[in-house]
Amino acid sequence: MLLEAVSLRHVYADGSIGLDDCSLAVRPGSRNALLGANGSGKTTLLQHFNGLLRPSAGRLLWAGAPVDTSRAGLAALRRRVGLVFQNPDRQLFSASVFEDVSFGPLNLGLDEATVRRRVAQALAAVGMSEQAERPVHHLSFGQKKRVCIAGVLAMQPEMLLLDEPMAGLDAAMQVELLAVLDDLTARGITIVLSTHDVDFAYRWADDIHLLDAGRCIASFAAADLPQQAAALRQAGQAMPAVIELHRLLAARGVLETVPPRSLEALLASLSLQESS
Amino acid sequence: MLIEQAAYRNRWRQVAPEAKACFALAGLVAAFAAGSPGAAAAVAGLLALTTCLGAGVPGLLYLRVALPAVGFLALSCLTLLVAVDGDFTWRWAPDAAPRIAALAGRSLAALAALLGLVLTTPLPDLIGLLRRLRCPELLLDLMVICYRMLFVFSLALHDTLVAQQARLGYATARHSLRSLGLLTANLAVQIWQRAHALHQAALARNGDGPLRFLTPTFAHVGRDTALAALGGALLIALARLGG
Repeated sequence: MLLEAVSLRHVYADGSIGLDDCSLAVRPGSRNALLGANGSGKTTLLQHFNGLLRPSAGRLLWAGAPVDTSRAGLAALRRRVGLVFQNPDRQLFSASVFEDVSFGPLNLGLDEATVRRRVAQALAAVGMSEQAERPVHHLSFGQKKRVCIAGVLAMQPEMLLLDEPMAGLDAAMQVELLAVLDDLTARGITIVLSTHDVDFAYRWADDIHLLDAGRCIASFAAADLPQQAAALRQAGQAMPAVIELHRLLAARGVLETVPPRSLEALLASLSLQESS
Repeated sequence: MLIEQAAYRNRWRQVAPEAKACFALAGLVAAFAAGSPGAAAAVAGLLALTTCLGAGVPGLLYLRVALPAVGFLALSCLTLLVAVDGDFTWRWAPDAAPRIAALAGRSLAALAALLGLVLTTPLPDLIGLLRRLRCPELLLDLMVICYRMLFVFSLALHDTLVAQQARLGYATARHSLRSLGLLTANLAVQIWQRAHALHQAALARNGDGPLRFLTPTFAHVGRDTALAALGGALLIALARLGG
């Protein structure tokens, strides 16, 4: 396993509990969705993965070894694990796109030529090369999100954490962002994102981790989600619409028993049947 | 926002900031070297023309940006024309006119020099220049954060104002006062939250010291600066000759 949370507990300064005996594991190169309602501990868990928060109890393991919480240890963790925040205006603090993306790699102590190369590569990866010289406040919300991702990619992390990446994006921007994520997965980067959209999690992820009240109540392959009705109910999530629709169609003998992962795939199956 | 608009959309956007700063400095020197108010006013006019015709900054935009400063200068000059006697009575002081003319001329020329710089150079380029000139890191960090936050908070201010207006927050004078208080309190909390969030964001990218960024590179720094220095020297010479 690349990253493992073992019985993590986090109590905030005001006494509220962020995580409570939360355990889950992330496979290298996999696409993971932390699925849960608001306040279920998704952001708190992501901030533990990046070392921004320290557990009150429990352990975090990277490649099987406990994460070192010294200054140097945290720097090493953050080099491997990049975090993209939910609100881009809370992450971008430099005035221009190029400058902001250069912030992370410069903090790694790299020389200027390497940083320039990495910035160019990261901006190209998210399709923002043309906007490199533009001021951040002239960008759209979706473009700011992509700059945030580029800012983390320029540090060349092994794992990318995204906190509610689809929040605030329109349909076209979501498609663009998904293409970026697919490209990153193809390069072998492990992705963990938080979401409360069960349809999206089922469609996109390899592994789903269900969170409820600060605890991971179930981790399973996304393809096994139809068998997790009880856990979904406990986490306050509905069954994905495509599964419900497929179940009804399969009961009428219209479709086969293996449910597709998206409405598009379901429609494609129906079209195929109709034409044959 | 007008300054921002001009700084990103002028013909000298790709001219090295070193060159523009050099020319602005020469403009300031020329303002003080001018031997007469007329010469100083001529320097101001030349600098304004250079900004508008050379860099392509729209004249109307230039006037709108200059207007508050010119208005302040006019008001100051008017007050200087008034003398207050020992018994707290006032009278016009026409004898101060030459000094006021000199002051106004120099101020106008200095203003035109600075406007030429800020209307053609985005702040990130200026901060990059200051970084190369070894300006203290703390000052630069503050400039970076303040500049970025200016836009973040203008957006937050706008959103909150609209939300208040939508619920009749400014319907009466009493409501306006209350809404303004709530707006101030809300923004104060947001400032604190944003500061914390930015700190977290910097930590997440291993930033726990000075804010380090790469600054854009410019192709012809030497050539541009030499040309600016030449133009600046001519300007100073004209200012001296004009006296």
